[in-house]
Amino acid sequence: MLDVTNIRKQFPILDQRNHNDKPLAYLDNAATTQKPVAVIRSIQEYYEQYNANIHRGVYSMAVRSTETYEKVRGQVRQFVNAKTSEEIIFVRGATEGINLVAQCFAEPRLKPGDEILISAMEHHSNLIPWQMACERQKATLRIIPMNQKGELELDTFDQLLNERTKMVALVHASNTLGTVNPIKRMIVQARMKNIPVLIDAAQSAICLPTDVQELDCDFLVFSGHKLLGPTGIGVLYGKKAHLEQMSPYQFGGEMIHTVTFEKTTFADLPHKFEAGTPNIAGVVGLGAALEFIQQVGKKNIKSHLDLLLELGTEKLKAIPGIRIIGEAAKKTGIISFLLEGIHPHDVATILNEEGVAVRAGHHCTEPIMDFYDIPGTTRASFGLYNTEQEINQLVKAIKVCRHIFQKV
Amino acid sequence: MYHKLIIEHDRAPYHYEKRESADQVIEAYNPLCGDKYKLYLQMEEEVIQTAYFHGYGCAISKASTSILVKKIEGLTIATALELCKQFFAQLESNHSEATPDPDFEAFTTVRKFPGRMKCVSLSWDAFTKKHS
Repeated sequence: MLDVTNIRKQFPILDQRNHNDKPLAYLDNAATTQKPVAVIRSIQEYYEQYNANIHRGVYSMAVRSTETYEKVRGQVRQFVNAKTSEEIIFVRGATEGINLVAQCFAEPRLKPGDEILISAMEHHSNLIPWQMACERQKATLRIIPMNQKGELELDTFDQLLNERTKMVALVHASNTLGTVNPIKRMIVQARMKNIPVLIDAAQSAICLPTDVQELDCDFLVFSGHKLLGPTGIGVLYGKKAHLEQMSPYQFGGEMIHTVTFEKTTFADLPHKFEAGTPNIAGVVGLGAALEFIQQVGKKNIKSHLDLLLELGTEKLKAIPGIRIIGEAAKKTGIISFLLEGIHPHDVATILNEEGVAVRAGHHCTEPIMDFYDIPGTTRASFGLYNTEQEINQLVKAIKVCRHIFQKV
Repeated sequence: MYHKLIIEHDRAPYHYEKRESADQVIEAYNPLCGDKYKLYLQMEEEVIQTAYFHGYGCAISKASTSILVKKIEGLTIATALELCKQFFAQLESNHSEATPDPDFEAFTTVRKFPGRMKCVSLSWDAFTKKHS
């Protein structure tokens, strides 16, 4: 069990009241998580004590910044259990990681008539990069369908895998529905046909296992800011054999071996994919975030989120006129819902008046909205610092919505 | 922000009906939130004889569109554009020179919710854009 009271003390932002003097209930963790003091301090310490560019200076500060940067790469390697640190590429976020793989791995391998397979519940970031690659190469983007509960149809998935399929890109946990997909089984299905798989672990990395060797995925991406780290930093894991074969994503400083006007040779992994001065402070912050998560324990975070999900689902379902979107058997701490006759944006505005921060809209998953034929949802998503009291605050605030719209 | 007038217009919007054969069909769409309405204007020369609307959106955008169609009926396009100007002026400031319109006052609290300003102005913007 998590000592939530103690954990909350590590997140100073949570201790505030809104303009109506209501305490903040931050339930928008699927969009971004708050940052613990350790993360904030690590970034401050970097800028106050050893800000220097990496991999070039010989002075002490530069040595320290380089060492810290590379130490975090090692931490990430451990976090996803990659074989070597060379398989860990720092990127801006999950989005950039997917774009990199789509452009540098998938696209050069695509021929007209080939197929890329994604699921019906992908975030736009794991849809558009593939759609663009297919468009340019006259390939086809195919979709693994889902049922009304928001679960992927695995039999259809198996049928969709064929000799034209050149890539499978799958979300581990849906940011809109909360569905946790059986990626292990799906990776096995794809790997049996020798099809490479990318896993979007943006929502799941904070609470679900992301052991890339056990999963045997070819690529895996996540963003720092959804696991207590800063924005603008993320990770792409790729199997070394793939990364070695791939051309660089961007060109410039830090990613070269030798340069003349006639020819350039590129640096070895992982630097080949890290052109330009990277987000060093972001990497430092990410390292502090991973350490924090390790100390708390992913399993403990998962148990806590499971508890909040169960409580939240039960309490929300008891409210008349509510419809939960996404009722998969396996879910992470995300509840999307609709209130009968009240638009999600109106719900979110009234919830804000009550101190409850949620997201309303299509959550960058318009195809999911089309599937359910709805314009959007209101989404409450939980973090390791959320409490039952905050769920009660959410429930009370939803009742206020109903009252304002005279549904009671 | 959820003034009585807004709730009333959300529940029972004025002339909420599709009229695809109308002389003018104006689309008001906000791709960021998905709110989308069509305004149907039946004209007699320069005068808006009847105005209807249909579509989907939040209570704020729906009520604001409902009030727009109600108010522009019987006006010339030029007068309706003046009305839009007055609406925007009243939204922006308490110190508008024109006499405040009580129906518009319901929306002025939106100043405190900058994220919702587009909901209020959506259809008014679309009407103005179409005719300028």
